[in-house]
This record gives sequence, structure tokens and C-alpha cells, in this order.
Amino acid sequence: MRRIPLVPLAFLFFAALVPGARAAQGEAVRITGEVIDTWCYFSGVMGGPEAVVGSAHHTCAMWCAAGGIPVGVLADDGAVYMVMKWQGAPEIADGTALLDTQSHRITVDGTLHVRDGINYLMVAEVLADEGIVNRSHEDYGVVPPFAIPELSQ
Amino acid sequence: MIRAAWIIATTLALAPAAQATEDFSAGSKAEGWGLTGEQPARFSTRVTDAVCALTGDCPADCGAGLRQMVLLRESDGVMVLALKNIQPIFTGATVDLAPWCGQTVTVDGLMVGDPEQTRGARLMQVQTVSAAGSAMPERTNRWLEQWRAANGGQEGEWFRNDPRIRERIERDGYLGLGRETDEAFIRENQ
Repeated sequence: MRRIPLVPLAFLFFAALVPGARAAQGEAVRITGEVIDTWCYFSGVMGGPEAVVGSAHHTCAMWCAAGGIPVGVLADDGAVYMVMKWQGAPEIADGTALLDTQSHRITVDGTLHVRDGINYLMVAEVLADEGIVNRSHEDYGVVPPFAIPELSQ
Repeated sequence: MIRAAWIIATTLALAPAAQATEDFSAGSKAEGWGLTGEQPARFSTRVTDAVCALTGDCPADCGAGLRQMVLLRESDGVMVLALKNIQPIFTGATVDLAPWCGQTVTVDGLMVGDPEQTRGARLMQVQTVSAAGSAMPERTNRWLEQWRAANGGQEGEWFRNDPRIRERIERDGYLGLGRETDEAFIRENQ
């Protein structure tokens, strides 16, 4: 019986694994953008994407973050980075750690993993927080209108 | 460790580049919500958390609802981010999916998103989860019950009563720009 050479097989095995190992490590990135509610932004459930960012949507963004919907960072080029860790911690889906930055323009350092077209961002450190700079309520009012109870009475 | 290795190997080996053109609507009983790019989707999938699938850091309970959850579709290995559960009250899917951590189940729901906006990616509202071999789908409606249990049985709209949100609205206003901005905005729009 012919013996299969183990060294080439081992080489092929590890060669196949190495790209995977690199991908699992992700890419170090610095991202600047606005913290957004990804459900309302992508689903259109409350209208177009311009109306569900910034001050117009601030209260709803807090609701969605507290409700466990993934928070994103909308970069200036339109790319959205789904936040999977915040300041190194993965236990973020109760929203508590992210409530104070909803709708804020921030700059973060972290690790980016791109999988099946989605940007997954592991935020290691928040470098800057400019607060809310997108005063979208001046164009869109408040979205949804019932976010301010005084306006729906 | 074995679960982490399996998940990473599977997702890296099988995942295609884009999800936008795929149709998993056969057999779906998902309720329509009129969302952007909405398409019913029902498929068999392994349930895990995103950090596990991406990095190999895999707690046995997938974070018990505190980590964002993903679905590793059996037929093609695509990793789908679960964005939303079935409750129309601003709630995600983590609490509903974490109990299925590490299991292969059938999910039914809606894929959403305009492929041009999402750059080919699709995101999922998971409406039901069925155990392997079960004909009894469970609706993804656990979130509110869990919130009420953690908040002394508080009735009414959770999002108006959540103490974390109330505290921030009290401090920064509904628009997040301070109480004075709120007051002026409300005066102008009442």
C-alpha cells in the first residue's frame, strides 16, 4: 500500500488554517461616526434613514439600546459598524453601557471583523465623545412623535 | 474550545460574500411588518453569540442574553445577525435566542435592509424558534417578561418606565440636548 506523505499534508492543513486564524484576529481600526439605533436605521420602520439618527431619534435610540437591539456606529462614508464589545466588554446587550453615547459623535479604537457583508466592531477604547452634533430634530421633528409625551397629548 | 473551533472553522470555510440575493422564504409563516427590503425567511441554523463566532471566546451560555446573538445558517454557513424579536416594543432578540445557545434550531422571521444601504448584508427579525424536530415554534416574546421580573413587576410601557432611560431624559431631555432645548421645541410644536 502506498503511504501518503504526512509533511505536505500537514503543510496544507496549516496553510488552510492560517488565513482563518488571521480573520479571527480582526483588523485594528479607528472609527469616527454617530452612534445609532440599527433596527430603525435599516428596517425603515419609522421612515427614512435620515430621520432616525441624531437628536430627532435620540429617545427612541435609547429605548432600542436598552431593549437589546444592536447599537451601530454610522461613519461619515455611510458604513455602519455593529458594536459587539464596548470598552472591551462583550456583555452589552442590556444597553446600559451604551445609553450615555446614543446619538453622539464618537471616535473609537477597536477591532473590526467583517463577516458576510456586516462590519462587527469590538470597541476597545472611546477616544473622543463630541456629544450630539446632528440636530436632526430641526428638520424632522421628533421620531417617533410619541417619544415626547407632551406632543402626543 | 471544541465549540469555538467548530464555529470558527465552519463560518470561515463556508461563508459566501453576500446574502442579498438568497431566498429562504419557503415554508415561512412570518408576519409581514412592511419593512425595508422585507423578505420572509425560515432556515435551520446553529445559535451562538457574535463574539464567540468571531473570536472564539465562547461562554457556555452565550452570555445569557447580554451578548449580541448570531445565526450560523446550516445550508451555506452564512452568519446572520439577529437584530430584533417579534415584540413591537423596541426589543432585540438576545433574550429569546440565548436559551438556544449551541443548539441547532429552525428560525422563522424577516430578513430586512436595502442591499444598497447595507452593502449586500441582510439582518434578521426572528419571530419564532423551533427546536430540532419540533413542530411547535416558540414566539420570541420573552424580553418584556424578563424586564418586568427585573423591575418589580412594573406594568405599563416599559420604555417609559425604565429607570435608566427616565434618569437620562430627566438629565438631558428627550432630544439629548438639554432641558431648555426640549422646552423650546415642545413650545413650538404643541
